[in-house]
Amino acid sequence: MIQVDSITIKEFRGIRDLTLNFNGKSFAICGPNGTGKSGVVDALEFVLTGNISRLSGEGRGEISLKQHAPHVDKRDNPGHALVSAKLTIPSLKKSVTIERSVKTPGTLKVTPSDTEIAKVLSHVEAHPEVVLSRRELIRYVLATPGKRNEEVQALLHLDQIEQVRANLQKIANSTDKQLKALELPLNAARDNLMRALSIAELSAENILSSANKQRGILELPNIVELAATTSLKDGLTAQAQRKSQSIAKSQALSDITAVREILDEMSGEPTKAKIKPIIEDASSLANDPTLASGVTKENFYRVGLSVIETEACPFCETEWDIATLKSRAETKLRNLAEIAGRRKALEGKIKPLTELLRKAGAAINVLARYSAATTLPVDMEAAVKFAASCQSVTRTLEAFLPITKTVDTLKMLSDVPPDVGEAISSLEKTIAALPDPSKQDAARDILTISQERLEVWREAKRNLKSTQVKALLARRIFETYGKTSDRVLTELYATVQNDFSALYKAINHTDEKSFTAKLVPSLGKLGFDVNFYDRGFFPPGAYHSEGHQDGMGLCLYLALMRHLHGKGFTFAVLDDVLMSVDAGHRREVCGLLKREFPNTQFVMTTHDPIWMRHMKTEGLISGRGAVQFRAWDVNQGPTQWDDRDVWKEADDYLQKNDVRSARVQRQLFFTISDN
Amino acid sequence: MESSPNSTENVDVPTQVFEAFLKSIQAAGEDAELVARLRKTLMEERSFSEAAMKMAIFGHNPSL
Repeated sequence: MIQVDSITIKEFRGIRDLTLNFNGKSFAICGPNGTGKSGVVDALEFVLTGNISRLSGEGRGEISLKQHAPHVDKRDNPGHALVSAKLTIPSLKKSVTIERSVKTPGTLKVTPSDTEIAKVLSHVEAHPEVVLSRRELIRYVLATPGKRNEEVQALLHLDQIEQVRANLQKIANSTDKQLKALELPLNAARDNLMRALSIAELSAENILSSANKQRGILELPNIVELAATTSLKDGLTAQAQRKSQSIAKSQALSDITAVREILDEMSGEPTKAKIKPIIEDASSLANDPTLASGVTKENFYRVGLSVIETEACPFCETEWDIATLKSRAETKLRNLAEIAGRRKALEGKIKPLTELLRKAGAAINVLARYSAATTLPVDMEAAVKFAASCQSVTRTLEAFLPITKTVDTLKMLSDVPPDVGEAISSLEKTIAALPDPSKQDAARDILTISQERLEVWREAKRNLKSTQVKALLARRIFETYGKTSDRVLTELYATVQNDFSALYKAINHTDEKSFTAKLVPSLGKLGFDVNFYDRGFFPPGAYHSEGHQDGMGLCLYLALMRHLHGKGFTFAVLDDVLMSVDAGHRREVCGLLKREFPNTQFVMTTHDPIWMRHMKTEGLISGRGAVQFRAWDVNQGPTQWDDRDVWKEADDYLQKNDVRSARVQRQLFFTISDN
Repeated sequence: MESSPNSTENVDVPTQVFEAFLKSIQAAGEDAELVARLRKTLMEERSFSEAAMKMAIFGHNPSL
């Protein structure tokens, strides 16, 4: 990635005009609270990423980058708020100057610019985690497993992995759903074909046996084999077919009987007994305002989650952070899991009813076609209306919401209007009155209708088969992806866990030599337990001190960053991250950073001059690798005190055994710092 | 220090996962064209939407 040689900040946050020279080395910014340290941190983050996380994070309300990043006196002129930085890109051995204005935070001015440089800067822009504050550090350690998982996911960009997993699952589920939806027309086509051929079981042998019987009447040769394209009426001339009357009487009567059976099933006691508990369960959801609202919200979040695919709201086009938004919706959905379970169970019970409704609608529509073909006037309007209502009731029940509508619909589901039965009886009477066809005509009718229904069944079967292939493929892909990503992530967490333990032990070798930790990933969670003096594994906040927790947060961050960026981990900003760590352990941290991350430039802020001194004496920063902010005022911004390397001078006095001068030097430092 | 990970590795985690996934489906004998489409979508276009995934898996965008 990059290293920062210098930064120039103008009219930005609490800073009016400030240049700091890091020279590509680690650097400390020290000063009491409110002297502008965080302004430098914000400026670094802004120039590198175009964002300031502390102005855009959770709970920031109406605070915005454009309005509140400029100095308060320039809040109406975001164009005056500028940050520029001179960078070195070690991997390219190139230097570059970048500049960003608050007015156009998405635009980075790069000099010189080429494709390779642009690629590196774009990579940096995508990694705001180079800036770590104590607030973020504690989130890794003390968060709940679900929240920690989100934090670590964001750091490691695991949201992309999750997005792919979720979409592959959606595709697998939707093909499964489509497959199930195709079973109903296939079954209806099968039943129609069986009725036409008067067979009890659908098999090639039965089909051929029945068809050949009719063909024999017509003196047509037997069909020996039923292939995919075999026609049961093969050899039947078009002229002969025309001789057949427009309605196949026996078939029509058989279809009428089938409709009656379906309607009897709908209005029968067994179906009513099935519907009753469903109505009770759905009513209990509908009548409890909390549950009813929960079901509606759950639906809203679920649908919302499925459409969050673009970078902005599709309604108002306000930009949003997809990962954060998804994570929030997922948390809300997790909280509504029990309600979702009740809805799913109810939908499962409703499904056989919707299948029955579909079957009824389709069967009545077959009768309507007979009605249209008869020469005698048969009023089938009531039956046709009922078939249409079967379809609309199915849609209502499948939509499920509003629940009150579902309840009302269920209450009326078994009611078949009497005029439907009357219309069907009228049709039956009309058809029964038709003259019986000759044996030959009846055989022609059977072969013609059977062939039509065989084609419908073949088409339904082809659809089902091709969808089955798709469903199997989608399921295989989803399962392979799940297994592979689990394996890679488990390996990753094992590596990070070991690296974390080693880093933490290095800074606590005096008191926690046998420290170990466990990072345990599970669906949507990341457990993090640490060994407490061989007494067992506990959450980091359970027994360890705040200082140790700070140390854990830093070590976990460093382990994750090392894994994430490898050699590219060349820059990080540590914003007051070791506030609660004591002097002894801070020295160890200095040694650790220097030893383990020799190619990483750390920019660190602290309000504690002793900590800054440790950085110098431990060689983490050079004598000139620090700036001390003395005070801040709104007109001037931070004022610096050039310490003239006071600690080095004090050490020099001590080397010369001049303790008095060293003490004066030290006192002078604290007097000025305290002011 | 007991461990220090291989610091030459700097491929991002999603890329590691996608690469391992593509190798797995290839090893499982899935159609080469399907593997190529998924590679293009995940690794080159970095497109992770449902529509893009469908296109990659089925070779077209069925109205499923």
